[in-house]
Amino acid sequence: MVPIRRMVSLAIVVAWLGVLNAAAVQASAMPPEDVLRSWYGMILKLVRHTATYSPPVASRSFAYIGVTAFETVAGGSKDLQSLAGQLNGLTPAPQREAGKTYDEALTLHAAMAHATHSFFGNTGPTGQRALTAIETKLHAELIAGLPADVVERSEAQGRAVAAHIIAWSATDGGAVIENMGFPMAYDLVAGPGKWVPTSTVAQQQKPLLPSWGRLRTFAMPQGNSCPLPPPPDYSEDKTSSFFKEANEVYETRQNLSKEQRAIARFWSDDPMLSPTPPGHWISIALQILERDKIGIDKSADVLARLGVTLADAFIGCWDSKFQYNLVRPVTYIRKFIDPKWETLLNTPPFPEYPSGHSTQSSAAALVLTRFFGENFAFEDGTHKRDGLAPRAFTSFQAAADEAGISRLYGGIHFRAAIEHGLEQGRCVGAYANALKTRR
Amino acid sequence: MRLLLASAALAAGSAAVVAPAHAQSSVAIPSFVEETVRAGINSIYAGEWQYMVGGGVATFDCNDDGFPDMLLAGGEAPAKFYRNASERGGPLHFEAQASGLELDKMTGAYPLDIDSDGKMDLVLLRVGENVAMRGKGQCQFERANEAWGFDGGDGWSTAFAASWEHGAQWPTLAIGNYIDRNEETSPWGSCTENWLHRPAEKKFAAPLALKPSYCPLSMLFTDWNRSGTPSLRVSNDREYYEGGQEQLWHVDGAEKPTLFNDAEGWRPLRIWGMGIASYDLDFDGYPEYFLTSMADNKLQTLAGIPPDGKPPATFKDVAFAKGATAHRPYMGSDLRPSTAWHTQFEDVNNDGLVDLFIAKGNVAEMPDFATSDPNNLLLQLPDGKFQEAGGDAGVASTFTSRGAALADFNLDGLVDLVVVNRWKTAQLWRNTGSKAGSWIEVRLQQDGANRDGVGGWLEVKRGDKIMRRELTSGGGHVSGQSGWLHVGLGEARRAEVRAVWPDGASDEWQSVDANGFYLLARGKPAMPWQPK
Repeated sequence: MVPIRRMVSLAIVVAWLGVLNAAAVQASAMPPEDVLRSWYGMILKLVRHTATYSPPVASRSFAYIGVTAFETVAGGSKDLQSLAGQLNGLTPAPQREAGKTYDEALTLHAAMAHATHSFFGNTGPTGQRALTAIETKLHAELIAGLPADVVERSEAQGRAVAAHIIAWSATDGGAVIENMGFPMAYDLVAGPGKWVPTSTVAQQQKPLLPSWGRLRTFAMPQGNSCPLPPPPDYSEDKTSSFFKEANEVYETRQNLSKEQRAIARFWSDDPMLSPTPPGHWISIALQILERDKIGIDKSADVLARLGVTLADAFIGCWDSKFQYNLVRPVTYIRKFIDPKWETLLNTPPFPEYPSGHSTQSSAAALVLTRFFGENFAFEDGTHKRDGLAPRAFTSFQAAADEAGISRLYGGIHFRAAIEHGLEQGRCVGAYANALKTRR
Repeated sequence: MRLLLASAALAAGSAAVVAPAHAQSSVAIPSFVEETVRAGINSIYAGEWQYMVGGGVATFDCNDDGFPDMLLAGGEAPAKFYRNASERGGPLHFEAQASGLELDKMTGAYPLDIDSDGKMDLVLLRVGENVAMRGKGQCQFERANEAWGFDGGDGWSTAFAASWEHGAQWPTLAIGNYIDRNEETSPWGSCTENWLHRPAEKKFAAPLALKPSYCPLSMLFTDWNRSGTPSLRVSNDREYYEGGQEQLWHVDGAEKPTLFNDAEGWRPLRIWGMGIASYDLDFDGYPEYFLTSMADNKLQTLAGIPPDGKPPATFKDVAFAKGATAHRPYMGSDLRPSTAWHTQFEDVNNDGLVDLFIAKGNVAEMPDFATSDPNNLLLQLPDGKFQEAGGDAGVASTFTSRGAALADFNLDGLVDLVVVNRWKTAQLWRNTGSKAGSWIEVRLQQDGANRDGVGGWLEVKRGDKIMRRELTSGGGHVSGQSGWLHVGLGEARRAEVRAVWPDGASDEWQSVDANGFYLLARGKPAMPWQPK
């Protein structure tokens, strides 16, 4: 366990110079891990309240912001190893000046502020106002008692690292989101079993982010690095596997237990009404980091690796979604089983196979298990303020499994999309876990 | 007025994002001429964050000349009152004059004859204390919070609706309050309490909190199921609530208000709710509701009406099917999603089918949404679908619009338009189209409480259709109206009309000539009216 606050003497710092070429003195009243969690708390709110932040877009920002924090912290740590050269296209961040003093918390604050302003530049006036307010508040607290040169140097370093990551992010193919992610032109693929729009929202007559699977990945080599077996062959025959899977969704929805309904709601994680599915896992991590008073090195590692795997999971999942382009349960069931059938959850506006929540939850679970171990029990209160009671889990994998099956309860996914999505997530997560973050 | 052929042919590849193709039909396009400067209007809705919503207008007749006068909210600046000095059928002309209504920090206003003395009163919604203003006649007003026991609170008020509950001698007011304006780092989830101001003799009782409250931007008392008792429909801004949704409240006499629930058919809907318009579009006797939002507006109709005429509170969205999504700009090069605010049904071309106006405007420099976002004028076609005509009609302003009112300002039988803009002056348009059809304009009047018959219905027979218009006080986006009810008649030269009063009693059908104004006093023959 890293102590809440480390006072590192200049003498010790000087001893590090051979490794770091920089000196670090932590003098701010607020430890850097608190700064990090404060910013992530704001980021989760901004994800919910920024219109472009569909789940894939949110996952991308979690990756870049996580890497920003990690590289900033690693720049002043004798233990952490940069992710440069490990993440696709990431080059070394600007180094600190040798022998100079930096305040770790303020450096991290400056990096987070710069990155958050950049990745949430599209948020509305209330978000901008809140961003400025938290930045001002933290800044005032962090600079108290610090020498002016340390303040200036620390802030410059934080901003420089953030700028480096922002520049890297500009070239991945996902930096510009238009029309909330819905293409203005897109030719739907016609044919039996192919996806068709499921809502009466005009924007959603095109699928969300059809090119997302072609984005540059982070730790995973490329979007198709974790391929899936195909879903059951499409069929309208009542004896077919496909029909049986559809009928399972139908029957389950018709006979939902109170617990199943609660599970579906808990993992619904709708954009604009929640921190989205990737934000849900960030929220889980933040709750544990705070509960267990985890220090800055591990906190930064957790959030970077988690962000990276969530982003890779969405890229890989989207690659598969548009490879298979499968019809949603609501379309099939209304056509062949019950024309008046209603899903419990809103059907997302993109193809069905695999389940995105399953892929990303499984990847997230693998990463968190790496840090905290198998059978790590935790309680998840992500949606407490929205009136949804916390749920307890015996392990991260148990939570991921529940997130997966919640989509069947909600009536928006077939079983194959869930089971294969969970498998895909394990493949994706392994790439993040293979990153080397310690010297 | 020109006739435009509405073609079924939609460009290949775009059919999926606009309304489905509809049969060819012709619709008369009205012509609006902007007369803001000439009419003497110069009022800006100003202010920063605390005025990012709001910016309403109230239209009402406060000097008994029949012409609608106007109060324009100014945000952080004082509101402006304009007396209507137009001549019948002539150019629009307004004169600013001191009225007592010129308060600052105003988001919007609603006229209502609270004390039923025949002189119009107003409720001013503000950032800070709301104020009830008693009309003294001749467009002079005085503060009445203390005299009427009206607690103005200290909120950020953004919605209003009024009703007279059964047997009440004094109205019930619902006031919607937005977020806690003192929250800086976490304003989300800080929705403050909506208040229900119920009567206590000839005053208001202490306000009752309508909990949960979810940051409404529009409220409307409406008898959605024709039960005889209006419910309170609340459209909430999902940007700020946590665990919230759209709401429908039972507000029934002395009973504590309760929310319609799943067992009653209510289904959750979560939008950036900003405005409500209602009208019986399909002539089935039950109103449809248009709800404005961002990128996704809703046109709701009852999912089903059983033989007993007691429908469950289940609505389905038919905006896409009816071509009324208005989800992005229809002209210009800015195709980002739209932001919609005030909305109102009126028949702007007198063809007997109400049309739909929507005020559009970016919240404030939100780059994901259109900044050049023209207001919509959707003309209803005979098949019930809508066709955009804002550009052709001349009302496609791309200012940052908020509140609005469609009213016949020069009493020529054509509905005119005023729109409030953030940071720019309000705009006024005169409807100059030669009449596609005929019209009547009607005011209801009864003795005692609720003189203007709020909660009643005006019914007009046109051929085999009965057009039904509910007299409401509320809705839109912080913009209220009182005055003539306009009904387009198409080619009809006469119309059968009757009033259905708030207590459910109906007058006899009466035949009136088209193109005239009528006072429908309870139980009495329709009285023709002419401006002096």
